[in-house]
Amino acid sequence: MNYNVSDATDFSHTSIPQLSQLDTLVRCHICKDLLKIPVLTPCSHTFCSLCIREYLTREPKCPLCLSELRESNLRSEFLVNEIIESYRSVRDELLESLKEDQRNNAEKSLIELTDDDNDDDLQIVGTNQKEEVKRDKNEKSVGKVTKPSTSTGLNSLLNSQRDKSKTKEKLAQCPICSNFYPIQALERTHLDECLTMQSLDESTDVKKRTPTPPSPRIKSPKSSSKPKRAVNAKDDISHVDKYLSSFNTGQRRERLPKINFTSMSLSQIKQKLASLSLPTHGSRQNMIARYNHYEVLWNSNFCDAIEPVDESELRRQLASWEASHNPSNGNNGTNIISKMMRRANQGNSYQKLLADFKTDNFQRKSWILMFRKDFKNLIQEAKRSIPRESKTTGSVDNQIAVPENTEKE
Amino acid sequence: MASLPKRIIKETERLASDPVPGISAEPHEDNLRYFAVTIEGPEESPYENGVFELELYLPDDYPMEAPKVRFLTRIYHPNIDRLGRICLDVLKNNWSPALQIRTVLLSIQALLASPNPNDPLANDVAEEWIKNEELAISKAKEWTKLYAGKR
Repeated sequence: MNYNVSDATDFSHTSIPQLSQLDTLVRCHICKDLLKIPVLTPCSHTFCSLCIREYLTREPKCPLCLSELRESNLRSEFLVNEIIESYRSVRDELLESLKEDQRNNAEKSLIELTDDDNDDDLQIVGTNQKEEVKRDKNEKSVGKVTKPSTSTGLNSLLNSQRDKSKTKEKLAQCPICSNFYPIQALERTHLDECLTMQSLDESTDVKKRTPTPPSPRIKSPKSSSKPKRAVNAKDDISHVDKYLSSFNTGQRRERLPKINFTSMSLSQIKQKLASLSLPTHGSRQNMIARYNHYEVLWNSNFCDAIEPVDESELRRQLASWEASHNPSNGNNGTNIISKMMRRANQGNSYQKLLADFKTDNFQRKSWILMFRKDFKNLIQEAKRSIPRESKTTGSVDNQIAVPENTEKE
Repeated sequence: MASLPKRIIKETERLASDPVPGISAEPHEDNLRYFAVTIEGPEESPYENGVFELELYLPDDYPMEAPKVRFLTRIYHPNIDRLGRICLDVLKNNWSPALQIRTVLLSIQALLASPNPNDPLANDVAEEWIKNEELAISKAKEWTKLYAGKR
């Protein structure tokens, strides 16, 4: 099981803990994960398309404000989608480098205690935390908005000079533009600038727009990291492109309608499922649940997604949903699905087969196929041994019989 | 076993790393959807100094469906019946998938702090509560000592 779950609190131990707010905001309130294919409700709340559609099949109301809500009122948000996708692509790196900064900061803070009065407060943790945080925030926001003439700018200027005079190792690579900056400058001003620049425009000259970073720009000394960055840059461009071209995708399909199954016969339901090439096994309830979930998947995919996947992928998603969602449905449902899954990954491994050995799901055929040779050998051996046995016993009989005969004679 | 949704893993982790004061919730070893919960009686309520045990189960459709919660410790409360069932809007009609285990348990704690005899589940208790509140409160305190004493 995958326990690697990201959370907004990941940022609380980095050099910019305020990022946890941003991270919280781009999460779905239903699945608590980063929004996937976000859709907007009339009450201006945003959820994953799948999550909210699934919920609306039960309750026609917004999970956040409880106001009435219909599926047809949902609108996809392409911009938010691309913002989140581009955030998702840099999140791990961002987190890693911010953690690194924090570690470096902690080391540095000891030195700074002596000569930097403004930073003093920040280092004394635990005495007056709230005030500190406030001040910290103010400082940060000032630094973001205003030009380098503020104290933040000066500080980082000072720090950067100190850095330069100390060692070159204090430089850190910006995870976004891959240039090297003194850590302090990187963390205080550059990352924000770089992120905003990235989302604004890739191609425009960075120097023009940035409020001239107080630290000198230093080109990355090695070109070895370039190719990886280039891929990243491409990713970002494509997010912008995707957004801009998101309106003329001609791949929109008609939405699947809701169906009232109560008046339908079993064979009619089966027909309906078959017409969508869905499996038709299981009880009536199973089939209805299957159609309903497929409808949610379909509509989310073809109505909301920027890049809809094709139907076979939807069917695969349906199968895995059914496998994980209806364990109580008994052998029938899970059996066929597990078969489907197995057929999908042909390499019917021994382990998998063995796992089902004692259950009804056990696949005899593939088991036999896998051990065909062994079975043949065993059978041959058995065949060989049987006549031999009978011969030997026979010969023993003969041997016994012979002396008897001889005695008689 | 069906695979555990990310959301449940995340909630479990957060409950452990950042617990709510006065509340603990631990998943069962064999079934990660089943939680053993304890709630401390809120201060200045008749349940003060009591530690109440509850069980919480996340149904297959969670978070689309509300978690199922029940008191295991006996409690004298107009909105909690003899079987430990709880009358709480967020567990029924007002459930929303934006809520979570944490918020549900907080609501239960709040319910202990402010019993609502006008929307009763345990009718006999509610009646007594309305008729003679002082007596009811003293009875609730007595029960708390009797059944929910700290060990």
